[in-house]
Amino acid sequence: MPAKLTRNFCIIAHVDHGKTTLSDRLLEYTSTITKREMTDQHLDAMDLEKERGITIKMHPVVMNYPAKDGKTYKLHLTDTPGHVDFAYEVSRSLAACEGALLLIDAAQGVEAQTVANAHLAEQQGLKIIPVINKIDLPSANLELCMRQLEDILTIPAEEAILASGKSGIGIQDILEAVVTRIPAPRWTDYPTLRALVFDSKYDAYRGVVSYARVFSGTIRAGEMMALMSTGQRSEVKEVGVFRPGMEKVASLGPGDVGYVISSIKSTEDIKIGDTITHANKPAADMLPGYKEVRPMVYCGLYPLESDDYEKLKVALGKLRLNDSALVYSSESSVALGFGFRCGFLGLLHMEVVQERIRREYDVEIISTYPSVVYKVKKHNGDVIEVDNPINLPDPGSIEDISEPTIKAAVHIPNEFLGDMMNLIMEKRGSVDHTDTLDGARVMLTCTLPLNEILVDFNDRLKSITRGYGSMDYELGEYRVSDLVRMDILVNQDPVDAFASIVHRTKAEGQGRALCEKLADIIPPQMFKIAVQAAIGGKIIARDNVREMRKDVTSKCYGGDISRKRKLLDKQKEGKKKMKLIGKVSIPPDAFIQVLKTNS
Amino acid sequence: MAGFPPAQEKAQAAAVPPLGVYVHVPFCATTCDFCAFYQTVPKGDAVRRYVDAVETEAALVPWDSRRASTAFWGGGTPGLLKAAEIERLGRIMLLYAGQPDEWSVELAPATVTPERLAMLKQLGVTRVSLGVQSFDAGLLDALGRQHTPAQVYRAYDLIRGAGFASVNLDLMFALPGQEEVQWRADLTEAMRLAPDHLSTYCLTFEEDTALWVKLSQGKVKLDPDKEAAFYARTWEFLEAAGYAQYEVSNFARPGHACRHNLNTWHMHEWVGLGPSGASQHAGWRAANPPDLTQWHADLDAGRRATADRVRLTDDLLAADAVIFGLRMNEGVSLPRLRRRFPAAGWSGLEDILPKFLLGGLLVASTEGRISLTPRGRLLADAVGADILEAFESAAKVTVK
Repeated sequence: MPAKLTRNFCIIAHVDHGKTTLSDRLLEYTSTITKREMTDQHLDAMDLEKERGITIKMHPVVMNYPAKDGKTYKLHLTDTPGHVDFAYEVSRSLAACEGALLLIDAAQGVEAQTVANAHLAEQQGLKIIPVINKIDLPSANLELCMRQLEDILTIPAEEAILASGKSGIGIQDILEAVVTRIPAPRWTDYPTLRALVFDSKYDAYRGVVSYARVFSGTIRAGEMMALMSTGQRSEVKEVGVFRPGMEKVASLGPGDVGYVISSIKSTEDIKIGDTITHANKPAADMLPGYKEVRPMVYCGLYPLESDDYEKLKVALGKLRLNDSALVYSSESSVALGFGFRCGFLGLLHMEVVQERIRREYDVEIISTYPSVVYKVKKHNGDVIEVDNPINLPDPGSIEDISEPTIKAAVHIPNEFLGDMMNLIMEKRGSVDHTDTLDGARVMLTCTLPLNEILVDFNDRLKSITRGYGSMDYELGEYRVSDLVRMDILVNQDPVDAFASIVHRTKAEGQGRALCEKLADIIPPQMFKIAVQAAIGGKIIARDNVREMRKDVTSKCYGGDISRKRKLLDKQKEGKKKMKLIGKVSIPPDAFIQVLKTNS
Repeated sequence: MAGFPPAQEKAQAAAVPPLGVYVHVPFCATTCDFCAFYQTVPKGDAVRRYVDAVETEAALVPWDSRRASTAFWGGGTPGLLKAAEIERLGRIMLLYAGQPDEWSVELAPATVTPERLAMLKQLGVTRVSLGVQSFDAGLLDALGRQHTPAQVYRAYDLIRGAGFASVNLDLMFALPGQEEVQWRADLTEAMRLAPDHLSTYCLTFEEDTALWVKLSQGKVKLDPDKEAAFYARTWEFLEAAGYAQYEVSNFARPGHACRHNLNTWHMHEWVGLGPSGASQHAGWRAANPPDLTQWHADLDAGRRATADRVRLTDDLLAADAVIFGLRMNEGVSLPRLRRRFPAAGWSGLEDILPKFLLGGLLVASTEGRISLTPRGRLLADAVGADILEAFESAAKVTVK
């Protein structure tokens, strides 16, 4: 089938706006799959998706669609992750397409995430087809959706297709629009093989399966391929498509989307956004847009039960097989024992990984405060990156510290504007401009330090707006900031798990809150014990652990000596299980409680 | 039964530590909600069989011609025995352990009768300990005690009338629903009776008691702050009334401290007879099983003191002598204990003493006597756990 009868598209949508249901209808309409086969497949993935506001990615699917013009088209539907934590991966999935269906929930209207993804699609030069979904809902407000389309996304309202995935309304209109509005595959004339790797999965039986979009040339089993970012060569074992199960084909040609299995053993060696070419006839230049993905947020993950260390190690190893953006290395903490320092693309990525470790690998974990990656410039001109407060060099050697910022788009109902502005100010942010979305909603475009949104920003946003606000962000630039390392000391000894890098103006407040919490959670002690927050040697906040008032057995007769000794033994053994910090025995779950109440 | 000649006694006292004998009488009419001591309701000829078995047990003890200088009958309710049974039990004890200088018997108010008191007096009992617990009828009821305030007064008058050398009252505080004002009323009432000795026990929630069940069901609550306040008030009150505190829970007029208990807290030796009776004697620390049937079975097989058996070592005795010694107001003389238990890990104790001294829990005299401050005494268990750990870690270092 010639490339001009091929169309590559994806669906971009806010979570819950009906992407999965609509995809299913498209597959059914094109007889790619029957209704019965469809149902179970997607249901399991939905839990995490709904809870975390992301979509779990499906693999790309190929469909055959006999269009009204009498020709049968080959349509490739590529899925995109729904969240900007995965912005780079989204951009690569979009780059594998020429067009996108932009799904808008008729009752909800345009959301922050929709806007962010639409902008990403535009940047990739994709043709956007707006689809207003769920039009059969009683609460549907078509007029508002149309106006938002024009006002916020500057897309003419008449381009919108009215649909309902649930009732099957507008499915053929959508497929026709895909064929007529989305251009045929680009860059097919390039003289050599160029295929974009936009995802990869690890399969226990087949090894690494790369998802690729061929732009030019053909790729078939038996050939030697090369990955252009590293020059690594490997033999192609198999190529195929998803229909929707894996189906081996003789070759993938220009415009095709499918999978490539080669002799590469590890997903780490396949970088998303890389270009596959022929080893003996390599392309002169890579497909545009390739980037090394680097973690933006780090935290320590520790098993709640120290016996689970190996289990956690295995879990991280397995997750990493399918998630090359996750990085980790072992570390140990006085307070928490042995664990791992882990790097994530963003907060959501971090939450998803933690949640999967708990659910899929059944390991209870505790995470330390998340930290962004700071750039520390030293007097001698060296610039080092620091993702763990305990690695911050001596303050005397530091010229300045820069922190990453984000550009956030915050959508809120008008009435909460004042409170939202206060929150942004509190988080050291600034509002760059304000756009009116409609009579009732505004969009604030603001710049915020990434570390300020790590902990409770989204929760606060939701609580201020009673759940009606939404936010999306992309990473901005690094900015020099007055940052200091704050230590928490128990009886003069620093507790590594609680060290943090904070803005100087925030240190006292955060220090006080932390001291208070810790002093409250540490069980009463025999002696007066101070919990302090310090910057350098200077104490900026302190609190006292409660003093033990009474711990004495009333009766001790002859027969009680053995009994009493057993009690003391028990008491003594109990203490051994505790972490000794600053000569204070602290039950390990005290740290966990503090970390929990802060996340 | 006559004692050893005085000269021999003196020589013995210098050579070997004092010996105490404890007889556990495991019978009660009912079980009090707070009681964790072993006791059972007597049925059929259980009491006769019990007294027979005490005789069997006493014959198994390696007395080594030593006389017990103190005796203590506890329970259960020793007063539940009839006068004749008391006499038989007493004669058995005297036969093997000799006539003690101090002989205490615990009595529940409801069991005090002129007949029993006369028998005790005749045997040579010197000290009666009356389980009053409270003078408040409501609180007594809440504890599941089977006596009334009127019975307490009657019993006390009878005991005083019988002319025992020393009389103790047991009182309990921090009872569910008890406020400080009620406790003060109890103490005042006790003072009015002018006993020679007072034991005031903070209500303890012991496993296997009805109170423990209530605690775990959330029907009563622990309040350490309130308990601490009760303790402090008690100490102040009794000191002002002329009762010197000599241990966490014990107060006496001059010359009336319980020697039997002091002997225990000094980590000397004692022989325990009867079910659950504990011994520290002849190189061993051990207890009888806390069960009448098992105890009988042991004796039938010619065995006694079969439970929790550990050999006495310097480390064990030194740690316990310090831990239990510190519960006493006089504290402990470290030089003296070091002479008694030279092989113990004293270096471990030396390492941790400064923090207690600096922290205001402990004071030391120039002669090397250490004692707890009032605040330290309220934390005696926490201090004790640290001391135990210190001795054990020092012992480990020595082994290496």
